[in-house]
Amino acid sequence: MMATTLRRLAGTKSAGGWLITLAMYGLALSWLYPFVWMVMTSLKPTPEVYTTSLFGGQLSLGNYNFLLSSATRLHRPFLGALGVSFGVTIAVTVSVLVTSAFIAYALARIAFPLRERFRDFLLLQMVIPTMMFTLPMFVLIKQFGLINSYGALIFPSMMSGWGIFMMSQSFKGLPEDYIDAAKLDRARLWHIVVNIMVPLNKSVIAIVALFTFTGTWDNFMWPLIVISDVDKMPLSVLLATFSKQYGVYVGPVMAGAVLQTLPLVLLFVLFRRHFLQGMSLTLK
Amino acid sequence: MRRFIGRISETQVGALLALSYLLFSAVFWAYPFIWLTILSFSDWRYFGAPRFSGLHNLLVVLRDPDFWGGLWNVIRFFSIYFPIAFAGSLGFAFGLKHVGRGKAFIALCFLLANISSGVAFSLVFTKLFSSTGPINNMVFSCFGFRIPWMSDPTLAMLAIALVVAWKFVGYYGLIIYSGLQTIPRDLYDAALLDSTPPLKRLFRITLPMINAQLIMVMVFTILVSFGIFTEPYLITGGGPLGRTNTPMMVIYETAFRRLQPGHAAMMSVIVATASYLLIRITRKLLERDVKLA
Repeated sequence: MMATTLRRLAGTKSAGGWLITLAMYGLALSWLYPFVWMVMTSLKPTPEVYTTSLFGGQLSLGNYNFLLSSATRLHRPFLGALGVSFGVTIAVTVSVLVTSAFIAYALARIAFPLRERFRDFLLLQMVIPTMMFTLPMFVLIKQFGLINSYGALIFPSMMSGWGIFMMSQSFKGLPEDYIDAAKLDRARLWHIVVNIMVPLNKSVIAIVALFTFTGTWDNFMWPLIVISDVDKMPLSVLLATFSKQYGVYVGPVMAGAVLQTLPLVLLFVLFRRHFLQGMSLTLK
Repeated sequence: MRRFIGRISETQVGALLALSYLLFSAVFWAYPFIWLTILSFSDWRYFGAPRFSGLHNLLVVLRDPDFWGGLWNVIRFFSIYFPIAFAGSLGFAFGLKHVGRGKAFIALCFLLANISSGVAFSLVFTKLFSSTGPINNMVFSCFGFRIPWMSDPTLAMLAIALVVAWKFVGYYGLIIYSGLQTIPRDLYDAALLDSTPPLKRLFRITLPMINAQLIMVMVFTILVSFGIFTEPYLITGGGPLGRTNTPMMVIYETAFRRLQPGHAAMMSVIVATASYLLIRITRKLLERDVKLA
């Protein structure tokens, strides 16, 4: 009786299917445990972190105050770092989205000379491991005199071969009629891309946007190498240096971790539907 | 005539757009690539012109115990990470297939880990694993001892592998799940008619049919094993005694602490080539062209 009710609730027919469903729900929630622990810890005074239960203890925003005021006392300008992270990440994401959309349109829909070669080149770039580029990229940025500047964080990532490839795969799937109709109206390239391609390919654009945003926001090694000036550090690096020096202040470190995570989580929750749809595209 | 002109200008626009990306690649891809090649065979300390030094860098790198340690740690990490991630994502995919309602919710919970910050969660897990942290408190109250996560080389590697697996199992799992979705039901119906035992169904139908997805997950695990930097850098700092030092950390140290960009460039080339070859071999050995007869 109990089993049938549960089975119906879980919406599955197979015997024991509801047990698996239950286990999956349990796992999914336990996957969120680090998030919950991080948020709760960021609200507790440091001495209570390891002695109170997960939701126990005196909760306050003290750690966030401490973190944001440490700009002057410890020379850790977290508010500024947050600004740097946002500025750099938004610049890169917007640039990648705009350039990828137009070049992807060209690749998918315009028969320019050597188009297939261009596609092969994109694939080649994606196969070659990117890790080997870190050091020579540093040399290049040094030659440009861009060490310790925001340009070092933005310029190398302004276009993305992966973004172009992903979008062009999706653009190719669109029926020819849409574009033919627009061309009959002698719509400009700008109009076709912005008013037809983008609205009809929201999922893939959401995927490219989300991965570019996350990758830039959470990039650690590159800014660690090119930015040594504390006032120009993005949040990821500033948080790491703060934790290295003041790691015993668990509360404030976790408050910083929450700041570092929050924009990513918000974006994810906001775009979750497009994201799940778009996943099936990256999975091919 | 007007149409004709319109067509030409459209191709030109296409070519110009492609060209813009090629220019970008020339500066930020090809040029660094050339520099990497030059640096690998030069003696250079960030100032002046690089001096050709033949195979000197290669000899130095091959004699560098840190470099070999880094490569050995890739194998150690992979042999812990791969079973966890592979079994985990397979389990996730099969589990998700049985879930009736709330598939999206479960997938999103797991994906949230994938999309969240590696920097932030390296710090979170460092605290979770610490000797007075919640995990050890639980173990202590149940079994009366604490797990020395950070002082034992294997446990430290396991800790890193668990953090990385936490991040990627949902993503890998969805890749496998999408493969499972494409297997036609008829195959199973036919197998049921022949009363094929479940284990045989798994090995003869399911796994071969999702070969492409399994290979993809394998390739990702290899790439991660060679490329991780943030997690070991922040969680263990390479310790204890360099037993969690990854190639990327060794390259970073060599280039920016020991100030030997030539050696680091040679290391990058070797490590990238190794990972590339390993992926090629994996595909060659395990990839099957699955066709529906």
